[in-house]
Amino acid sequence: MRRQDAGWWLLILPAFLLMTAFYVAPIAQVLAISFTEPAPGLGNYERLFTSESVQRVIVTTLRICILTTAISLLLGYVLSYRIALAGAAAQRWWILAVLVPLWISVLVRAFAWVTLLRRQGLVNETLIATGIITEPLALVWNEFGIVVGMVHYMVPYAVLPMLASMREIDPRLLAAARGLGASRITIFAKIFLPLSMPGLLAAGVLVFIFSLGFYITPALLGGGKTLMVAEWIGLQILDLLRWGLGTMMATMLVVAILATLAIFARIVDLRRIFGGGGA
Amino acid sequence: MSAAGHALALRGLSKRYGSFTAVADVSLEVGQGEFLTLLGPSGSGKTTILMCIAGFVEPSEGAILLDGRDITALPPERRDFGMVFQGYALFPHMTVAENVAFPLRVRKMGAAEREAKVRAALDLVQLAAFAERRPSQLSGGQQQRVALARALVFEPALLLLDEPLSALDKKLRAELQDELKALHRRIGRTFVNVTHDQEEALSLSDRVAILNHGRLIQQGAPAELYEAPRTRFVADFLGKSNFLAGTVQEAFAGGFAIGAGATRVVTAAAAPPALGSRALLSLRPEKMALLAEGETAENTVQGVIAGWSYLGAGYALNVETPDFGTLRVTLPTWNAPIAPREGLAVRLGWRAAASVPVLDDLDQDRAA
Amino acid sequence: MMAHRPGWFARISAGVVALYLLLPISIIIPVSMTDQRFLSLPKQGLSLQHYVTVLFSPEWLGSIWQSFLIALAATGLAVVSGTLCAIGCWRLARRSTDLLRALMLLPIIIPSIVYAIGAYRYFAGLDLLDRFLGVALAHGVTGIPYVVITVSTALAAFDPRLEQAARGMGASLSQTLRWVILPRIMPGILSGGIFAFIHSWDELVIVLFIASRDVFTLPRRIWDGINENLDPAMAAVAVLLVVFTTGLLLLDLALRRRRAE
Ligand SMILES: Nc1ncnc2c1ncn2[C@@H]1O[C@H](COP(=O)(O)OP(=O)(O)OP(=O)(O)O)[C@@H](O)[C@H]1O
Ligand SMILES: [Mg+2]
Repeated sequence: MRRQDAGWWLLILPAFLLMTAFYVAPIAQVLAISFTEPAPGLGNYERLFTSESVQRVIVTTLRICILTTAISLLLGYVLSYRIALAGAAAQRWWILAVLVPLWISVLVRAFAWVTLLRRQGLVNETLIATGIITEPLALVWNEFGIVVGMVHYMVPYAVLPMLASMREIDPRLLAAARGLGASRITIFAKIFLPLSMPGLLAAGVLVFIFSLGFYITPALLGGGKTLMVAEWIGLQILDLLRWGLGTMMATMLVVAILATLAIFARIVDLRRIFGGGGA
Repeated sequence: MSAAGHALALRGLSKRYGSFTAVADVSLEVGQGEFLTLLGPSGSGKTTILMCIAGFVEPSEGAILLDGRDITALPPERRDFGMVFQGYALFPHMTVAENVAFPLRVRKMGAAEREAKVRAALDLVQLAAFAERRPSQLSGGQQQRVALARALVFEPALLLLDEPLSALDKKLRAELQDELKALHRRIGRTFVNVTHDQEEALSLSDRVAILNHGRLIQQGAPAELYEAPRTRFVADFLGKSNFLAGTVQEAFAGGFAIGAGATRVVTAAAAPPALGSRALLSLRPEKMALLAEGETAENTVQGVIAGWSYLGAGYALNVETPDFGTLRVTLPTWNAPIAPREGLAVRLGWRAAASVPVLDDLDQDRAA
Repeated sequence: MMAHRPGWFARISAGVVALYLLLPISIIIPVSMTDQRFLSLPKQGLSLQHYVTVLFSPEWLGSIWQSFLIALAATGLAVVSGTLCAIGCWRLARRSTDLLRALMLLPIIIPSIVYAIGAYRYFAGLDLLDRFLGVALAHGVTGIPYVVITVSTALAAFDPRLEQAARGMGASLSQTLRWVILPRIMPGILSGGIFAFIHSWDELVIVLFIASRDVFTLPRRIWDGINENLDPAMAAVAVLLVVFTTGLLLLDLALRRRRAE
């Protein structure tokens, strides 16, 4: 009943007001500024076609994101496969091994990678001590470091949707195929892989859109030389005070993410990506 | 517990979900202290009507009156009705006593008074010993009685029950039926009960309303519905019935006769239909007798036993007749005139008043 | 029938991936206990001197305390508004509330950098820059999705007839909430609270933009540390952070197990 529903609508109100006033409004302002500063019009968006540095950032970002997504999916898939086929008790430990990194501060993780990979870091020192190399390798503050750190961050996110869809696979199906004499590889290629495809796609979308706007890991492990979009935006706003350019790129970032979601919403159940929120 | 029950009236109640009509133009009166049962097959709209009365579902059309006052727009928490839900809906995180105390707690009743009332309500349903248990630790029948105690504890003048006994096994159901009936007598409140079990409806209710496809087909006292069904659906749904179809051949004061093939059947009716029209008679299996040699009856028919079964209290015979197909006949075992045998030729007889003219609503049904 | 188990190739490669996930995080533990004055593995023996440095430094303690207070306030905000919103959407369950719920999920879809620059500009107008309230608000609204997701999941398992039963017995909306709905979904709310807390406690990108001197949270101090002086004290802080987060996660796991029983 409409009148009786009033109370329930009232429950939604605080979150709605908070969200509108302190989340949506600031973001709407970002979108607006991209059309109004420094001069009203589409000037900022013209830079997409004319400015080489803008194009370079976009290309770099896409390259790193695609690489990160591909590697994360591969590693995540291996891990999920192992977890899905493990016994119940073992599964709990495996999942903990995935969840703990998921929630550990991204700063801590970037710091750990710096400790390991810098010139005087543990990896280089060990390699030199064992005589495999004589000169330290450049493992961090370049694109390689960024990808290592980002993949490390993204693998748990890739595992969750893939594991969820693998768990929906009826284990009796696999055992039955085994009983019919199918080899491990046949079972994997003909049964497991096709059935886990929805999870793989969902994981791909999730990792890709998370990677696009990534700030901290690229900033710390890229050492300022390799710029991804988020860090570039920060630079425009904080150091160069070029609001128009920064907000234009932020707008493009949001558009790219929403477009990716919209495209894949047809193929992938978005609920797979964002948990039980729609349940 | 003394306050008398409320009188409830539904006026032209309808409920539509999109283009689907769940309840169509139902009008009903429930008198003070009366026990009314809504009876119908699954999906006939019983729960929807009850939910409209309780206030959880907003009717698309029509009004609900309580003692003449329109309560259609009143929210459920202001209606003060007791309700037993399909599946009971006990609060799993509260003990039995806390569950029963819940309606008193929302009414901000003092602790001492509350405890006394909870104890009284639990005594009423004989569950005082289980007060500290959780619902999950009770059997189905006990849960059902907790739900009843919870619905009664705040002394609502109107109690709504949605299939309160459907989750129980047959024996327990019979026991609780008796308890429910006794309870109704004792506290004298108005009960509206929903069931799709026709025996339960007949044994419990002062009045039964029969629903099909959201429409009210017939209402009345159980005996009235059983003895004088108005339509084929009612005759078929309440108990078992044979149907005799024929053409009206003759009309006379207080009745008419139909013919089918060589057989003529007379029936009692206030207003006979037009000569030559088709008519349908309902005939209960227990209202026929096997006639002995030379014995006569108002209606007689020849037949052959095509099959039979022993039911303990009686025999059920399938008698093949030339003009009405197979008729089902039941005979009490203790004074059956014959030992049934397949192939045996028999003569059936019954009184004119036993064959009741009914409206054939099956065609409408198929259309609906 | 025997269950299908992974083969040796899958076992070994999964083990390697797990090492890749866990080893870098664990390596900071020995590094934090090094006896050297620079980032390295312990040489002569273990030492807790760097923990002492951190735990007796007013700067670090101040940041930890400030982060804790901000996370507490943000969690409160997110839990209260997120829970009520999830309940409202659950009960009304129509197209418009599905859209609302999608709106509540935006903060985990849209990158923090976009919100951060927006908040930088917007909060300046409200005089909320570099203020406790500003950061708590920003962390609070961005923490709402975690609460909405966990509470919605908990509500999916809640029998809607219990709510009707309560209303039918005369309970008002607030009584129904307090006595029937909230007790049943408490584990989900606590989970959401834990995630909202971790979110605020770890959040850096927004803080980089809307806070500068007066509000200097723990992640902000670590960030400066990594960029300026990479010393073992950083490793000690990192270990403390890992221990704290893991503790919260184990708490959440325990809560979930209790709910499952
Ligand atoms: N919220 C709803 N939306 C759409 N259709 C509904 C809704 N609620 C009930 N219906 C439909 O209305 C019809 C009547 O439902 P109702 O629950 O009243 O049946 P019922 O007589 O109580 O059946 P049962 O004996 O199975 O409980 C059914 O066909 C049902 O599918
Ligand atoms: Mg029903």
